[in-house]
Amino acid sequence: MPIELLVQALLNGFALALVYVLVALGLTLIFSILEIINFAHGEFYMLGGYATYFGFALFGLPYFPTLLLAIVVVGLAGVVAERLIFRHLRGKTLNAFIVSLGLLWVLQSAAQLSFGVLDKSVPSAFSGIIRAGGIIISVERFVVVLAAVGLIAVLYAFLQWSRVGRAMRAVAQDADGAALQGVNIEFVSMLGFAIGCALAGAAGGLLAPVFAVSPPMGALPVVKAFIIIIVGGMGSLPGAVLGGLLLGTVEGIGSLFFGSAAVNVLGFLMVIAVLLVRPRGLFGVA
Amino acid sequence: MKRQGCREWIVGLAALVALGTAAPAPAAEKTLEIGVLGPLSGGAAAYGVELARGAEMRADEINKAGGLKVGGDVYRIKLITYDHKASAADAATAANKLVFQDKVKYIIGNAVGATCNAVQTVTEPQKVMFAFVCWGTKNLGPDKPYSFRSMLSQWEAAEPFYLWMKEKRPNIKKVAVISPNDTSGLDTNTAVVKAAKGLGFDVVADETYERGTKDFYPILTKMLAKKPDLLDVAAAPPGEAGLILKQAVELGFKGAKGWTAGVNPATLINVAGQEAAEGVWSPVNVNVKSDFVDPKVRKFGEEYEKRYKEVPGVIAVANYGAFDVFTKAMQEAGSVETEKVLAALTSRPYDTVWGKLVIGAKETYGIDRQFLYPVVISEIRGGKAVDIEQVLPAALKALKK
Repeated sequence: MPIELLVQALLNGFALALVYVLVALGLTLIFSILEIINFAHGEFYMLGGYATYFGFALFGLPYFPTLLLAIVVVGLAGVVAERLIFRHLRGKTLNAFIVSLGLLWVLQSAAQLSFGVLDKSVPSAFSGIIRAGGIIISVERFVVVLAAVGLIAVLYAFLQWSRVGRAMRAVAQDADGAALQGVNIEFVSMLGFAIGCALAGAAGGLLAPVFAVSPPMGALPVVKAFIIIIVGGMGSLPGAVLGGLLLGTVEGIGSLFFGSAAVNVLGFLMVIAVLLVRPRGLFGVA
Repeated sequence: MKRQGCREWIVGLAALVALGTAAPAPAAEKTLEIGVLGPLSGGAAAYGVELARGAEMRADEINKAGGLKVGGDVYRIKLITYDHKASAADAATAANKLVFQDKVKYIIGNAVGATCNAVQTVTEPQKVMFAFVCWGTKNLGPDKPYSFRSMLSQWEAAEPFYLWMKEKRPNIKKVAVISPNDTSGLDTNTAVVKAAKGLGFDVVADETYERGTKDFYPILTKMLAKKPDLLDVAAAPPGEAGLILKQAVELGFKGAKGWTAGVNPATLINVAGQEAAEGVWSPVNVNVKSDFVDPKVRKFGEEYEKRYKEVPGVIAVANYGAFDVFTKAMQEAGSVETEKVLAALTSRPYDTVWGKLVIGAKETYGIDRQFLYPVVISEIRGGKAVDIEQVLPAALKALKK
């Protein structure tokens, strides 16, 4: 097998996996702070896609301001969801599970009624391809990768060095302890949920021009995000990044040797393997 | 005298009343419920939406004209439509609801091969007439006498399409084919590969993918490494076909593009973008604005566009045509009983939206259950589907001889 084909397959896998890492980071951030698994997370990804469709494709706004707008809009949607629903379910994993499933159906049906059931195309924000030897990557996907890496770096810096970010990590480690130290748990929960949703919105906005937008578009990324989180370890940000890169490698290389349906299975096989060997995931804490 | 006259008036009135009751009764108005199935949401929603709209247009026309006169009865058509999201399990559930709960005897409209198989497990034992646009090979056969395909399938279209390519585009030698990995897709790939190989083409890639896939880079990387001259997105629905072509062009593909079982080019162009969609050939699609199609198709297209603000694809025309054929067969049979309608259906050609239409293709399926009509090869040029040639499917050619 030519080496170019192998490298091309790896690049293909990494490019999308990095965007799914954004979805996974949002999901794991929400889990860390509120101790809930938000099954409707893919619907916030979908909202980001539609926000980009309206801003960029319909109203003709420039792409990056539209992306920023999508991040803000979905972040605000996250604030509303947290204030109205999830705040009351903090730590109640089973209740939150059922409610988030309900929210998934509500948001998806609302999107079907509001935006229609057909795929809506978002024009490419960047045209052209980059060639290096036999390797090809579209400028559009290259920009998506750069933006995803940039957002991951910003999130890391925010959580590592900002005062609010440290408060978030403190709540994630021990909410009661953080409250005793004067951390406003309610504010941190709201902000954590909003940032988590905004990350999903950013992923939706980044991939809207690459694919098309449709009401069920969030289903696949959220499944990938779950794979990434389980492999990387629940609640671990570096784990999510590593999980994403592993998934990209497995899917990229796997696509060369197996069919596309089998590639989807490979991700789940990876999950089974990790759960058998290291049940808490690669970076998760016991 | 006065009293006698009064009595005469009363007797006269009574006689009139008696005569009135003895006179032929005006045709009793009844309701004929007809089921429509299809994917109304999800990746294949474009199919279902067109099926429902085609049915709706013909049903409304019949109802506005005073109903469907069958024998001594007049029926108002009532449509019962269910969404199965292109899932076989949901299709079986919907078919059960239609047959056992809603008690329909006709299901006119369905798309996506695997869902047709599921529906037939209900309709055939219950002797419910079922017309669909699915492309599964095994959806028609002597063991399924109540099933009809209202649109040309890959088996009628692939051979004349590739023959046309061989004659008109002799530089195309290597062919790569891709379809979804369900019944429609697998059957379409089989038909395309058989037609292409039979005509001397070199099939370098024969790939399938999971419906709902958005990222085709991995599969395209493998396919394009074989350097095909033609990429045929055979049975891919419009949205996914658009994504495949867009991503193929992003990966540097510059060859010819085919869409053997392609319908609704407007959605493909919308998703792929004008550059990636340029030059796509399709033998199944219908351009309702073309001079190559029957004037009735053009008229249907105008009314559809006026009503739904969209240009219809072939599925809308096909299901409108199917409603037309089935309702005409009911009138021909003088009954809505399925056995009588079944006998009437294959007895003669019908003058439909397609022009002259026959139900045949026994030589392919072992039973005459395939709607046959002329097809037109179209090419996408400058963001629009332009018809370039009319060809006849082999089965129709044989019938003409």
